[in-house]
Amino acid sequence: MKINSLAKLGGVALVSALILAGCGSKSSQGTKKQEINWMTPSAIQTMDTSKMIDLYSAQVANGTNEGLLRMAKNNKVDPGVAKSYSVSKDGKTWTFNLRHSKWNDGTPVTAKDFVFSWQRTVKPKTASQYAYIFANVKNAEQINAGKMSPSKLGVKADGDYKFVVTLDKPQSYFKFMVTQPEFFPQNSKVVNKYGNNYGTDSTKNSYNGPFILKGWSGTNDTWKLVKNTKYWDAKKVKLQQVNYQAVKTPSTALSSYQSNKLDYTTLSGTLAANNKNNKAYTVFPQASTTYMEFNTKKIPALRNVNIRKAMALAIDKKQMVNKVMQGGDITPKGFVPASMAKHNGKDFAAQAYVKAGTDYNLKEAKTLFAKGMKQVGKKSLSLTLMGADDDDTKRATEFVQSQLTKLPGLKITNSNIPFKSKLTKMENQQFDIGLSAWIADYPDPSNFLDLMTSDNSYNDGKWSNKEYDALVKKSEDQDANNETARWNDMVQAEKILMNQQGVVPLYQQGQAALVRPSVKGVQAFTTSPQYDFAKAYVK
Amino acid sequence: MAKYLGKRIFYIILTLFIVSTITFFMMKLMPGTPLTNQAKLTPTQIHQIYKQYGLDKPVWQQYLVYLGGIIHGNFGTSFQFSNQPVSYLISSRLGPSLIIGGQGMVLGVIAGLIVGAIGAIKANTWIDTSATILSILFISIPSFVLAVLLQYYLGLKLRLFPIADWGGFMYTVLPTLALAASPLAETARFMRTEMVDVLSSDYIELAKAKGLNKVGIIYHHALRNSLIPVVTIVGPLAVNIMTGSMVVENIFSIPGIGEQFVKSVLTNDYPTIMGLTIVYSAMLCVVLLITDIVYGLIDPRIRINK
Repeated sequence: MKINSLAKLGGVALVSALILAGCGSKSSQGTKKQEINWMTPSAIQTMDTSKMIDLYSAQVANGTNEGLLRMAKNNKVDPGVAKSYSVSKDGKTWTFNLRHSKWNDGTPVTAKDFVFSWQRTVKPKTASQYAYIFANVKNAEQINAGKMSPSKLGVKADGDYKFVVTLDKPQSYFKFMVTQPEFFPQNSKVVNKYGNNYGTDSTKNSYNGPFILKGWSGTNDTWKLVKNTKYWDAKKVKLQQVNYQAVKTPSTALSSYQSNKLDYTTLSGTLAANNKNNKAYTVFPQASTTYMEFNTKKIPALRNVNIRKAMALAIDKKQMVNKVMQGGDITPKGFVPASMAKHNGKDFAAQAYVKAGTDYNLKEAKTLFAKGMKQVGKKSLSLTLMGADDDDTKRATEFVQSQLTKLPGLKITNSNIPFKSKLTKMENQQFDIGLSAWIADYPDPSNFLDLMTSDNSYNDGKWSNKEYDALVKKSEDQDANNETARWNDMVQAEKILMNQQGVVPLYQQGQAALVRPSVKGVQAFTTSPQYDFAKAYVK
Repeated sequence: MAKYLGKRIFYIILTLFIVSTITFFMMKLMPGTPLTNQAKLTPTQIHQIYKQYGLDKPVWQQYLVYLGGIIHGNFGTSFQFSNQPVSYLISSRLGPSLIIGGQGMVLGVIAGLIVGAIGAIKANTWIDTSATILSILFISIPSFVLAVLLQYYLGLKLRLFPIADWGGFMYTVLPTLALAASPLAETARFMRTEMVDVLSSDYIELAKAKGLNKVGIIYHHALRNSLIPVVTIVGPLAVNIMTGSMVVENIFSIPGIGEQFVKSVLTNDYPTIMGLTIVYSAMLCVVLLITDIVYGLIDPRIRINK
């Protein structure tokens, strides 16, 4: 997911506020009322899971609805609507055994609801902007391109409680994908009843998750999740209510937290720095990397590996994180974020770590730069650094500029333009160096590594390495069904990317926040849905 | 009067027409589409999304559809909120903005008149000086700074009022104060200057000489005559309140249109930006019209139709 300006806004802006007047403060004052007040940087944009494209709506949907499986801690999944699942030997057929669970209107959740929902998202008429995430489901791409009937999608309801998915290629991380809102079931009766208005307010929807959404008018900034008594695991859901408040001003959010009107607030910049000693201060790492891309297509000098390496080494990422960005951001270990994906207990980023890829060494940088310039036969290089025009990105580009100009002969001009223009320009290779950010859709290294293959549409700089492409392809083809071999391919690929400095990771995003210590059991993830309240409680 | 009103309303419609035309074509020149993952969408899907927003037609047709929509109060569908009509987005958020804007305006102008009048009556005393200092302070402190200060002291420290959010009169107090400051100061300064002038004019001297009591003179003669010029600044003050409300609504998390405007700009939600621009222009036109009518009521010399 390209981080859009709203998500950025979320990072920058904070929250505030009071939730519903009276009930707000009680929960946080030590009585054990099972109710919490949660801040979010952005209002819900839609509750139609076929159309959801932002993290914050997805977070709400994860509270109110449930897919086949539920995201769990430590890179695992918990049973959801499916009580168990099995994968065929060739890794292409996934069979989910569904439990007898209910929608909030009392009708049963069946395999047909999944078939209906998946077909609806994939068919072009729905115009789902996330439909491509289904690409590996059999025939999804053809249907999405309007060349095949939606009924041909590789999904099947075998009776009411067996759901069978056929994939084009084995995909071990498919289990994570089905935890995401795009893969949730939809109650066809409700969808058809409301047509275009489905999911535009809290009443025009159907819920099968731990909570029910109430009080969302479609445009307001406050809403609540109320415990769903019809949820199959309702016994284990301790919270009675989660009061959400969308707050955009950081200082307001902090004040609201301090006056017990909020139990959670994100922090950014100096507000984060000022609160580092608060015992409620927590940093939630995100599976998101902010990185620098080189346009190797337009600027021949950037095809030189020494020049790219020199630029990477010239940037002090530690200083950038601690002194410039100041929030919860983390110095990067590589392109694939840390604490996202694990295999045999080992973190991917640690395993694929290449020191030079994220290190700072100005002396070495200068040597390499001189060497590279000699190789390309140039005395000086004048480049533009492109980034979005929000405050965080501006600070980042200014810092990078100041660091890079320490390389003799390198001149950097900054160009900060609106997010969407930046995206368009970079997609069309109208840039020299660009600052981009990516957040994983699911916790698997492939989500990042795919980006930098030669033919990926998000590889803006067209960096290309045959060995890298081959490894990524291998991990998706012949090694796709062999966890360890696949993992090793990806580790190798990441190492090549870092050694060749195809991109320069600048920082891994981390969400600094204050979480009231009395609130326990909120599960946090590096990818969407970010937070899960199903097991949370107030102590 | 009716003829005058008719003429004015015609001009308002003309203004709105020009505003919407300019906004429409400016938005067409801006980059950005409702597409989020353009690189990953199939041509069929892109076509479908464009069709959904009416962007598959030539620009001139889009323009006509757009104008036709406006006449019916339809501003299209928001890019940001899936399937949400912009008109609903605006109408459901207009209330809070009108309430705090209206309260801020009324409070600011009335308090400003009182402060200004007191300053003039007690001209060149410490009371006058304090009033002037207060005005200068309120003019110089931007509303967002004042908002944060109010939030911190009255909200967080003294806990007199809610810090943010929306839900009843108490929630409107701090934003209203933050918005009222600037109109209060402007009105006070204007009122003081005017009234000092009026108080030194011949007819006041005459009234004094006739032995009328001071309160009567101020109330019947000085106040009314000083008010006339003050009315002329109400229009600009309304603009002040509208722009101020964008920031203030954000700070106090008020679900209003100012807050929405900022958000739609940040997310390139063009249909919403266009809709809100027209709504803001319409509100301003109406305020100006009312100002002119009131102007006539207060000052018989410029009463319309004479």
